[in-house]
Amino acid sequence: MAHQKIDTYAATLDPEVRQAVRSNSAAGTEKRYQILGADFGDPDPLRKLAGAIKQHTIEHLDQYLEQAERSLTANGVKVHFAVSTQDARQAVLDILNQTGCRKVVKSKSMISEEIHLNDFLEEHGLESVETDLGEYIVQIDHDHPSHIVKPILHKNRRDIAKSFEREGLGDYNDDPETITRRARAFLRQKYLQADAAVTGANFVVAESGRMVLVTNEGNSRFCLAGTRVHIALIGVEKLVPHDRDLAVFLNLLARSATGQQLTVYTEFLSGAALSARPSGPREMHVVFVDNGRVDTLASNCREILRCIRCGACMNVCPVYRQASGHAYRSIYPGPLGAVLSPMLAGKNFSQLGDLPKASSLCGACNEVCPVDIPIPDLLLKLRNRAKEEHLPSPGTPPMAPFAMLATAPMLWRTAMHAGVALDLTPKNLIPVPALQEWLKIRTLPAWRGGKFRSWYKHRPAKGKDRQP
Amino acid sequence: MSHRDQIFQGILKALTPLPERAAYPDYDTAATTTPRWLPAAEDNETLFRQRLTGTGGFFFESPADCAAWLKKDGAKSVYLAPQVAHLAAEFAAHLEVVAEYTRDAVDRIDAAVTVADGAIAESGTVILTDSGTPDRLAALAPWWHIAVVPRPTLVRTIGEAIAAFPADPGIVWITGPSKTADVEGILIQGVHGPGRQGSFFI
Repeated sequence: MAHQKIDTYAATLDPEVRQAVRSNSAAGTEKRYQILGADFGDPDPLRKLAGAIKQHTIEHLDQYLEQAERSLTANGVKVHFAVSTQDARQAVLDILNQTGCRKVVKSKSMISEEIHLNDFLEEHGLESVETDLGEYIVQIDHDHPSHIVKPILHKNRRDIAKSFEREGLGDYNDDPETITRRARAFLRQKYLQADAAVTGANFVVAESGRMVLVTNEGNSRFCLAGTRVHIALIGVEKLVPHDRDLAVFLNLLARSATGQQLTVYTEFLSGAALSARPSGPREMHVVFVDNGRVDTLASNCREILRCIRCGACMNVCPVYRQASGHAYRSIYPGPLGAVLSPMLAGKNFSQLGDLPKASSLCGACNEVCPVDIPIPDLLLKLRNRAKEEHLPSPGTPPMAPFAMLATAPMLWRTAMHAGVALDLTPKNLIPVPALQEWLKIRTLPAWRGGKFRSWYKHRPAKGKDRQP
Repeated sequence: MSHRDQIFQGILKALTPLPERAAYPDYDTAATTTPRWLPAAEDNETLFRQRLTGTGGFFFESPADCAAWLKKDGAKSVYLAPQVAHLAAEFAAHLEVVAEYTRDAVDRIDAAVTVADGAIAESGTVILTDSGTPDRLAALAPWWHIAVVPRPTLVRTIGEAIAAFPADPGIVWITGPSKTADVEGILIQGVHGPGRQGSFFI
C-alpha cells in the first residue's frame, strides 16, 4: 500500500535521530507545562487573550501595517515592501549595495530561510554568516533547520564535531562546551568584521514602531553591536497594536518555546543606535515581506497568521516526534508547518497539500498554542481543499467503487448479500493489496451485511410487538 | 504598481469580505500577566536577587564583594563605565582597571561593569539602554558583565517595565548569562555574550 510521503520519510529516519527528536521535543513540552503551570495555574486565559489580540491585529492589518510604517519612518527607519521571495532577496541586496556592505552577519530568522537569503547573497559575491550556534552549524553543513527554535535537533555532538573539524575550527572534539567556545571565538571576529546585520523580528509594535528581537545566545545583540547597517526582514503579520501588548506576548513566548520566563536577550529597537555611541548600526531598514501571507489572510486559514513561532506545537506533536522536521519538506515543520507551508506555497499548494493529512487531529497543538490557533480545524479545511483540488491521496483506497454501490440500491442489496462469500474465502487469497495491508494488523469480523434490511422488511406490523 | 501598493491592495481585498472584524480585547495587564506567586513574594530587592540567581546570574552585596569574586573567578582586567568610575579603588584592589572601552579591547578586557537603567524583580532582568551604556560591546563581549542597578530604578513586573519604557532607540533586557541548548539540549553558558552575568545595587 502506498504511504503518505511523511510516513515514508519517517520510516527511513535514523533511530538515533528519532530518539533525539522525540526526547528533546518531549522535554520541551514538559518544561513549558511546568513553568506555565507554576506561574499561571491555568494558562488558558492568557493564551486566549494573546490569540484575541493577534486575531484583531490581522483582521485590521490594513490599518496597523500603515501605522507601523508611519511609526518606523518617524523613528528614522527606512521601510521597504517585498511581495515575493525574489522581491525580498532583491530588496536586501539593493540595500547592501547602496550602503557598500560586503560582509553580512545574520541572526536567526525563519523568513530569511523562506527566501534562502544566504545562498542568494553568496551567489552575488557577498559573505553571509549565520550567528546562532545551531543555524551556523546548519549553514556549514548545507543543511536545513528541522525545528524553528532548535534548528539542529536532528544532529548529535559527533556530527557537529566532525563539521567543525572539516571547517578548520580545531581538531575533533565533541564536548558541547568546547564546541560552543570555538563558535564563540570564530563568530565574534565575524561580527566585528561585518558591515551589515540581517535579522528577523519577533514583534513590531504599530503605535511606537518598536521592534522586538529575542535571543538566548546574544547573537542578535552582537550583530547589532558590531555592524553599521541593520536590515530586518519581517513578515507583514508580525505586528501587535500597542507596547502594552508586549507584556502579554513576552510572558508567553519564552515560556512556550523553551520553558523560560524571559529569553536572555530581549531587545527593543526603535531606530538606529544612538549616534553618540561608538557601536551599533547607523541606519536601520525594515523590509516587510508578504511571500504568501496576504493570500493566507484572504483564505479561511487566516488564524495561522497569529503564530509567534514558539515551536510548542511541534514539540507536543506525536507526528513531529516520530517524523522529525525534515519530513515536512518545507521551512516550517510540525502542526504549524502542516498549515502554513501549503498556504505559503501559493500556486504550488499541491506539492505540500499532503501535509495537513499528517495529523491524527489529537488537538494537542491547539492546547499548547500561546495564541490559541485552532490548528486541527485549519488542517481539516486544508484537507478539504486538497480534496476539492483532486490531489492524489496515497494510502486512501479509491472510493469510486463504493460510490457506485452506494448510489445504486439494487447493486447495494446484491453486494450486501454476496458479501457473505467473504466469510467462506481464505482472507490471504483476496487479491486486493490495500486489504492485505490492512489485514496484517487487523482481523475482519464476520460478514453481517444485509441483516438490517432483512430485519426491517420482516419486522412485526406497527403495534403488534407492543405489550399491552 | 509598487510592492507597497500591491500588498496594501491585497490586504484590503482579503479583509473587505469579512462580515465583521475581531475587536481589540479589553484587558488589565497586571490582572492577566502577573504570575500567581508574585503577590505573596518578597520585596523587590530580595525578589530580584532570588530571580537573578535562578537564571544562573550572580548577586553581590557590595562592589568590594563583586571585585573579589571577579578575581576569584579568573578575571584579570575590568572596564568600569564612567558612572561607576568612583568605585575604581574597590576594583583596583583585585584587578587591573580600564577606564576606556574600544573595539580592539573585545578580546583583551575580561570584565565590564556598566550601569543599568532599570531592573525587573519578577524575572531578575537588568535593563540597559544606549544612553546609559557607553558602548554596546562593553556590556556584551567580556566574559564577565556586571550591571549595577540603582535601587530606585527597580520595578516589580515585566508589565511595569514596559509601561515605563525609556525614550531610547536601543533598550535591551538581559535575563541571566548568554546561553544555548542547541547541542543535544545541553545547557551551555556564554555563547556570544557573557558567560557570567551579575549585579549589585547602588
